[in-house]
Formats: sequence, C-alpha cells, structure tokens
Amino acid sequence: MMLLNKQSKIESLCPICLKKIDASIFTEGETSYMMKTCPEHGTFKTVLWRGGIPMGKWVRHKERAYLEKTVTKVDKGCPYDCGLCNEHRQHTCTALIEVTQNCNLQCPFCFADSFAKKGQEPSLNDIRFQYQSVLRVSGTCNIQLSGGEPTVRNDLPEIIKMGVDLGFTFIQVNTNGIRMADDENYVISLKKAGLSSVFLQFDGTHDKIYRKLRGKALFEKKFKAIENCKKYGIGVVLVPTLVPGVNIDNIGEIIKFGIKHVPTVRGVHFQPVSYFGRMPKMPQDKDRITLPEVMTEISKQTDNMILVESMKPPGCENALCSFHGNYIIEENGLMQVTKRSSCCCATEKAEEGANKAKAFVARNWSYYNHNNKDKQQEDCSDWDKILKTIQKSSFSISAMAFQDAWNVNLERIKDCCIHVVTHDGRLIPFCMYNLTNAEGRSLYRN
Amino acid sequence: MKHENEKKNLWICDKCHKELVSEKTKVRYLDGNFEVALLKCPECNLVFISEDLALGKMLEVEKGLEDK
Repeated sequence: MMLLNKQSKIESLCPICLKKIDASIFTEGETSYMMKTCPEHGTFKTVLWRGGIPMGKWVRHKERAYLEKTVTKVDKGCPYDCGLCNEHRQHTCTALIEVTQNCNLQCPFCFADSFAKKGQEPSLNDIRFQYQSVLRVSGTCNIQLSGGEPTVRNDLPEIIKMGVDLGFTFIQVNTNGIRMADDENYVISLKKAGLSSVFLQFDGTHDKIYRKLRGKALFEKKFKAIENCKKYGIGVVLVPTLVPGVNIDNIGEIIKFGIKHVPTVRGVHFQPVSYFGRMPKMPQDKDRITLPEVMTEISKQTDNMILVESMKPPGCENALCSFHGNYIIEENGLMQVTKRSSCCCATEKAEEGANKAKAFVARNWSYYNHNNKDKQQEDCSDWDKILKTIQKSSFSISAMAFQDAWNVNLERIKDCCIHVVTHDGRLIPFCMYNLTNAEGRSLYRN
Repeated sequence: MKHENEKKNLWICDKCHKELVSEKTKVRYLDGNFEVALLKCPECNLVFISEDLALGKMLEVEKGLEDK
C-alpha cells in the first residue's frame, strides 16, 4: 500500500449515516482506492481510479475562485451548509432546474428517483424564482432544465422562453427523447421558445441495452428524436450512462453513431454509473467504471481513431471529475484539437476555467445553422471557410464521474460548477444534491 | 514593411523592397493545418498579417478552437 501524496488525506461521508469522516486515497498497482472508517458503521473501501493514467498525474492546478454573492452561511461545515457558502471554490458553469419529478419511464437506474406517477410540479412562478435566484448568485450562466422528464410538461416551451427573456443565452433540456420523437409540434415549439441544445439520454446503439437500463426498447425513439432535432435545428449531445456488464462494449459504436450525425449531434458525454437515487443493489467495485477505463475503451473501441492523449482534465471543475477531448471531423478521420500534453504544471485561475467552460458549452453544444451559412459560401474568404468547418464539424467527447456516498471526496464538492437550484433559491453542488445513503436518504433532495 | 497605397492594399517588404503578393500559405494551429491566402514577400517569403486580420477573422478561428 502506497500513499499518493499529502493530498491523499481527505474528508468524505459515511455511506450509512452520512456523517463527515476522514478518508485516505491510496494506490495499489494501477488502481487507486478510497478507504474510510465510520466509528459506528465500519470501514469502506471503494475503487476511484483504475487503468493506464496514474491518478496522481491527472491534475490541473487551479487557484480557487471566491464567490461574490453567497446564499448560506458556514455553520456545520462542508457539506452541510450548501447553498452556496463562502467555502465553495468555483462559480456556477451550469445551473440545473428540475421542472418536474414526473417521468414517462421507470428506469432501474435513476439518480432523481423519478416515477411515472403524477406528482405536483413547480408553478411557472416557482420556476421564475429559481431562474432569478441563479441570476442573483451566478449571473447568466448556462441552464439545464431537468427532472424527472421535463418534456412531460406541456408548458416547457414557456419555461424555456421565460429563461431566454430573463437573459439566459444557453438553455438545454435533459431528456429521454420519447416525446421529442413522437410529437413534432412540441419540438417546433421548443425551438421557437429558444431551446439551444438537447442532452439526450442515449445509452447505446441497440435495444438490448435499453431493455436492461430503461425497461423497454427505445433505440428507434432516440433515432427519431435526433431526426426531429435535425429537422428543426436543435443541437444534440448524446449522454450514455455507462454500466459495467451492460454497455461498456458499445462505447465505440456510440461515438461512431454520434460522428455520423454531426452537425446535429455535437458530441458524446459519458456518465459512468454512480450509485445514488434509485439503484438495483449496493455497489461493488466491479459495478463501477472509472474515467481512465472509459478513456482506454474509447481509444480501443475506435481503433485508435481517438487517442487517450487527446483527452484532458477539466479547467473548470476538479480534475478528478471529468475528461474531455475536442475534435474536427474531416473526410479522412478526425483532427484532434485537444492534447493532454498541453496541460502544464502552471496554476490557472478557476474563475477563468468556469468562463471558458461556459463559453465552450454554449458554442459547441448548440446547433450549427448550416443552411444560412452555406448560402454565403460563394463569397467566403479562406478564413470564413475555416470558421465554417470548425463550426460545422466540431465534435466533443467528454465524461463526468459523479460522486456517491461511497466515493465522495469533499475537495471535489467544493470545486463543483454544476449546481442544482432548490425551490427556496439555494444552489447545491450536483453530486451533493443527488447523493443518498445506502437506504436512499438524501441530504438535500426533497 | 511599408504601407504605400491604402487603396491598392500595396505593401512593400522593408528588407527586400519587393511588393508583397497574395499567396496560399499553410497555417498551423494546434494540430490543424489550414491553407489560406496571405500577403507574402516573393523574395524572403516573410508573411505579413495585418492588425485587422489578426484581431478579426484569425482571432475568430482561434476562439472557435478554444478549449475549456
């Protein structure tokens, strides 16, 4: 057993009682683990990082940001004062508003623990208050409307328009795509309201995967939803939840499917399964896939078309939370825009990272309006043609590893830039909002 | 380089005293190779990039490729 460095002593939570406890991160061979002991509930060991790139080398040094406006006061200490408080070290890149808890699916995995039953939804006034709370604390950051399944609301176009009218320039809907496949008029109204992008649950390219993860065959629906987005000009990001034994071997096919549907599909954003909300059973290490394993699979399953070296740690959130790579699709393959070697040891400002991430998402995950630009092609200069290629053919591959009660590291929580807006106007780091103990009890949700 | 005539966009290389000509030039940014028409000295091959271009289209391209 070897300790990584001084930073390997961290704080975590007991997955049973959710009390704050000390934890250590250590490496055995190519695998890094978290180990923690609750005086009442015993010792827990969980895999954090497995595979080629050592965890200690996956770094991007940042100088913390200071929030100008905080909502909550430090009282019990992180993570019990979320809102955000002045111990939080990063601005909001994306604010997430849950517009319903209802859903038209009942998946075995669901971090929001949503059901098909009809529960009370927040009113338009409630949602206006949430938007205004974001404006007050974080300004016009990117917005993701989530749930539940947001498209079960007939007034979703009004909700989008409300955000646009309040000054938000990038609004994305997180959806399973069923209604977008079935109801073309609804898609038209979302577009007219100002929807920039769809964060489409897309777990794979065949129905065996959907039956296992979502309880029914859905591939045709996904395909139709993408077609409708293409027809009416809405950018799509494919979002697969990666579950060992279910769809890890489909990673390459998902990427190839995405590339085939550029420029409507703007990228693939993988989410390795995390264990909060609704899950079939208590997680073991074999039930997890870590970020370096995802990168290795991407490279392997695309026959090295996408190299591990093209994927980088993030400049916005904590380095251990994600990776991303940017590409330009060319006739003979991919041009790699990002390189891991460009991450040097210099310290960057976290605030600058948040601004860049906001701009990148708004630019690269929105629809590229090729029809208008193509008309102007005749009088384009060389530079305009390059710009057009960049806009039309850019493609991003990324992944975000959410934290659950077994692997949560409070250092990462403090660096979080994706914040869920509560009904009383607090902003809660995404993982903290969704984290539940072994019995499904949450610190913040509900 | 001396800007002799604004209307004709005529530029003279200060070193070779030759008139710059527009020529397809390979530009490399990150891992991408692009070919663009740029003003170039036919003698010493020195490329001239005007302030307008550097702060205009060139910057737009750079921003389009900007990472997070």
